[in-house]
Amino acid sequence: MSGPTDLTFADIDRDEALLEAVAALHGETRAAFLRKAAIGGGALLAALAMPPSAGAAARLTDTAVLQFGLRFERLQATFYTEADRLGTVGRMPAAKQQWARTLGAHERAHVRIIKQILGDKAGPRPFFDFHGSTESDGSFTRTAVAMEDLTVALLTGVTPHMQDRRLSAALFGLLTTEARHAAWARHLVGTTPAARSFDDPRPVADVQSIVDATHFIRASPRLRRRRSRPRFTG
Amino acid sequence: MTSATSQPPTDGARAPDGPRRTRAEALRAAVAGGAALGAAALAGAWTRPAATIGRPTPTQDARILNFLLVVEETQAGFYEAALRSGALRGDLLEFARVVAPQERDHVALLRRRLGRRAAAPPRLDFGDAITDAPRFRAAAIDLEEQAAAAYIGQGASLTAAAMQDAARIVAVEARHAAWIRDLAGEDPAPRPADPASPAADVLSHLRQKGFLR
Repeated sequence: MSGPTDLTFADIDRDEALLEAVAALHGETRAAFLRKAAIGGGALLAALAMPPSAGAAARLTDTAVLQFGLRFERLQATFYTEADRLGTVGRMPAAKQQWARTLGAHERAHVRIIKQILGDKAGPRPFFDFHGSTESDGSFTRTAVAMEDLTVALLTGVTPHMQDRRLSAALFGLLTTEARHAAWARHLVGTTPAARSFDDPRPVADVQSIVDATHFIRASPRLRRRRSRPRFTG
Repeated sequence: MTSATSQPPTDGARAPDGPRRTRAEALRAAVAGGAALGAAALAGAWTRPAATIGRPTPTQDARILNFLLVVEETQAGFYEAALRSGALRGDLLEFARVVAPQERDHVALLRRRLGRRAAAPPRLDFGDAITDAPRFRAAAIDLEEQAAAAYIGQGASLTAAAMQDAARIVAVEARHAAWIRDLAGEDPAPRPADPASPAADVLSHLRQKGFLR
């Protein structure tokens, strides 16, 4: 297989905007590319097309890894929940509805599991803005496919490096569930569920920069940013 | 290994006439509380005393990797025999064509890691599971689920480098499991967290099925 993923942009990015963006990648640094890449689901897809960053993975504490994991699981859970609430899932064909709702239920369960393990170190729930990715079948599906593959790469990377072996044992069972999600998603969009013999790990910092590039996570709710133009007056 | 070890992995190879959980039922279960079960298993794995997981050593690595090698040899042998039989068509043929070389790659990696400590390939027998499409599908689900549960059960007992190999492989086994379940009309991801299976259970299951001689 060529490259880190066989999931070509032509498969899932019908308007080919990303294809052009990737074609322009030559000679650019990852950071520069990620800054230019479209925000939202597009950034996820673009980032996945790039090989994982080289170099040894930074040694992180288990708590730091789990806190990042929780943010990422919260992002996914909110993504599926929001698409369902907006009616996007309900407008999909039956097979896709089952896929989207099962993944949503699983990601919400993962949030509960990691919160339970972290206890009072869980931290507050961030605010999310999916920039329209939850509003149409196409953008929702593209983003979900990329997000699930990215989760597999994240868990493949962190699972062997937990300081507490019990956490590694627990994460193995999450890794396989996320890999099932990714394979199911790929099968739904008509691409091969298992593109390579081995899933490659991505360091946490790598995933962090990809998530940052999507601008899905906001420090504050959207309303607060619009203080200059309040929706409600008087 | 984990609290989930007492729970055998889902037997994907239920008798063809046995009760088969539809996707809709599976979904309802996941939403209504099946999710809580997975959460309990996972949290349980974490709260178990560390003593239940053996301290990793090169000797223990060799023992575990040789067990996983048996599982991988069984899978590789199964798909290769099914392809040789010429009985597969359509989606199942495509599945076997993609998966067979991947399982063989897993065998090769484990053999490379084990070096001279690698055991001889096991003797295998798949009967009509390689010539009859429904039986092939059921056996493939069974083998992929057994493999995933085997890695989940053993992975955390390996030294760091071997554990990284296990993670890279088990993700692919889980992809295979989801893919073949989808082809069989079964829920590709039936639980929010997958259970582990002890090595002894996996081996006795493979022997009981007659795959391992």
